[in-house]
Amino acid sequence: MKRLYLQFYLTIVASLLLVVLTAGALWRLAVAATPVSLAFAMAGELVAVALAPADAPPAEQQRALARVAARLRTDATLFTPAGEPIASVGRPVPAPDERRDGGWLYGPSGTAWALKLPDGRRLVVRVSTGHGHPAFGLVMFLGGIALAIGIGAFPVVRRVTRRLERLQAGVESLGAGDLSARVKVEGRDEVARLAESFNAAAARIESLVGAHKMLLANASHELRTPLARIRMGIELLKGQVDAGRKAALEADIVELDQLIDEILLASRLDAVADLEADEEIDLLALAAEECARYDHCTLTGAPVLVRGDPRLLRRMIRNLLENAVHHGKPPIAVAVRARNGQAALEVCDAGPGIAAAERPRLFEPFHRAAGTAATGRTGLGLALVRRIAQRHGGDAGYRAPPSCFTIVLPIAR
Amino acid sequence: MAERILLIEDDPRLAAMVAEYLGEAGYRLVPARTGAEGLAAQARQPCDAVILDLMLPDMDGLDVCRRMRADGETPILMLTARGDAMDRVVGLEMGADDYLPKPFEPRELLARLRAILRRRGAAAKADVLRFGRLEIDRGAREVRLDGSPRPLTSHQFALLLALAEHAGRVMSRDQLMDRLGGETFEAFDRSIDVHISRIRAAIEDDPKKPRRIITVRGAGYVLARAQD
Repeated sequence: MKRLYLQFYLTIVASLLLVVLTAGALWRLAVAATPVSLAFAMAGELVAVALAPADAPPAEQQRALARVAARLRTDATLFTPAGEPIASVGRPVPAPDERRDGGWLYGPSGTAWALKLPDGRRLVVRVSTGHGHPAFGLVMFLGGIALAIGIGAFPVVRRVTRRLERLQAGVESLGAGDLSARVKVEGRDEVARLAESFNAAAARIESLVGAHKMLLANASHELRTPLARIRMGIELLKGQVDAGRKAALEADIVELDQLIDEILLASRLDAVADLEADEEIDLLALAAEECARYDHCTLTGAPVLVRGDPRLLRRMIRNLLENAVHHGKPPIAVAVRARNGQAALEVCDAGPGIAAAERPRLFEPFHRAAGTAATGRTGLGLALVRRIAQRHGGDAGYRAPPSCFTIVLPIAR
Repeated sequence: MAERILLIEDDPRLAAMVAEYLGEAGYRLVPARTGAEGLAAQARQPCDAVILDLMLPDMDGLDVCRRMRADGETPILMLTARGDAMDRVVGLEMGADDYLPKPFEPRELLARLRAILRRRGAAAKADVLRFGRLEIDRGAREVRLDGSPRPLTSHQFALLLALAEHAGRVMSRDQLMDRLGGETFEAFDRSIDVHISRIRAAIEDDPKKPRRIITVRGAGYVLARAQD
């Protein structure tokens, strides 16, 4: 991950470096093009007057040079046009460049000025002021500013992004399910306002989820007490109702009860992050129990152990069987086996299957395949099947022909 | 004298119906609308059993259950709604003797009530395996459906117990043989199916459509964990 504060900081430092380098380069170009070179030429003329002529004996040249060097209080060496030293005072200086007229010289022994005399001789004088090339001074100056800004900017940038990081940690813990997560609001800038907005959003989410949980906790009871009353009432009617009608009423109550169950389960699967139970379950046995509830259901396969919530897995299998009974055609064939290291459950019926166009939306909540509305089943059953399978680390699918729903789940270790 | 049942239920119409139904069965109902009322009634004159709704206007049914447990051994049947945050285990840990999800079958309410009244004071409570209306009493080596004993030979009881102890798991014939131990069951091998059908005749509502002991073709038998 590229840290934000590093990005800010590196941008600042990089811009400073760019400014310094550009300034240095511009200076360098300017030096070559400006009258500074003229100044060097004039200095050469003046020095020629002070020194002995080119044809003077070496001793005289040495004396003249010593005089000039003494005045300048520096080291100096006089070279022939070919670059041979004629006279020298003080420590050695860098050799002049024959191709250039005059200018700055850099060498291991230090920085120097090279002057070209009108007669072709060259005088090299050590720069005694302690400065190097004037561009060097500028670079040093800018570099100093850059260093100061660089050091000064770091804590500021770090502080801004630290607050962003704390905000990020808050958002992450909210996302992980800690709805009471809040962040400290520091300062009065955009980051602080963001933190305030986050806190407000988190508070709202917490109250909404709390209300949802309360509703879930109470709805089941509130809805089922009247159902229990109806159930009790039917029983107390005794001989006044014929057996067929009574059975139908009881079936209606069961259906309503299951519908409440499915709606509440669907909302709970959304609201709660973890499974309420985690046990080792024999998928074959569970399928056998559910299959035994139907007349035309055959089961084949071998025991496979999976981990999960037995109530949810039972509901998943029951929904698949209910779906096969209501929308398919008997007989229903259920198969449980281990395949490719996974537990596979297959529920097939002898019906014509589901049209290819309907398949992509098959597992969507409240989706009804065309023409099935009359059967009176909610469109939640298959959505629950897929959600339960996914909650257990697996998935649900459909393939045809024959019309088969398939569930894959990880095998328990 | 009729056994007195304390009914703590905040819904007056349901309470009245339960009172009528259980009254016909020969019980005398003491109604209470709130947890506090129920605790007070129980303190005044203890009833023989308590039917307790989980959701009460003034307090949590589990609290009522805990307080009653602290005071005495009166059996408690808890009424819950399926999908309540609490599940069976929590209710039973709080000291409830049994629980029944709403909407309940009136006959099942009666059967459970009879069961907890009969078990009252029985110390060997933990030695009974229960699957809905089916009870397998390991202590007495007896099988009961709706509270009435069902005739089983001791071989058949051992076989049923082996299935019950692994309820929710498919048991192959070999595994059943291993559990039963060879000594009493020599030459039992092929006749295991025969014994299963005898057990079914004793404990299934419809032996032709078994819902308690289920055959898994090619794999074995399983005792259903979730039964009516």
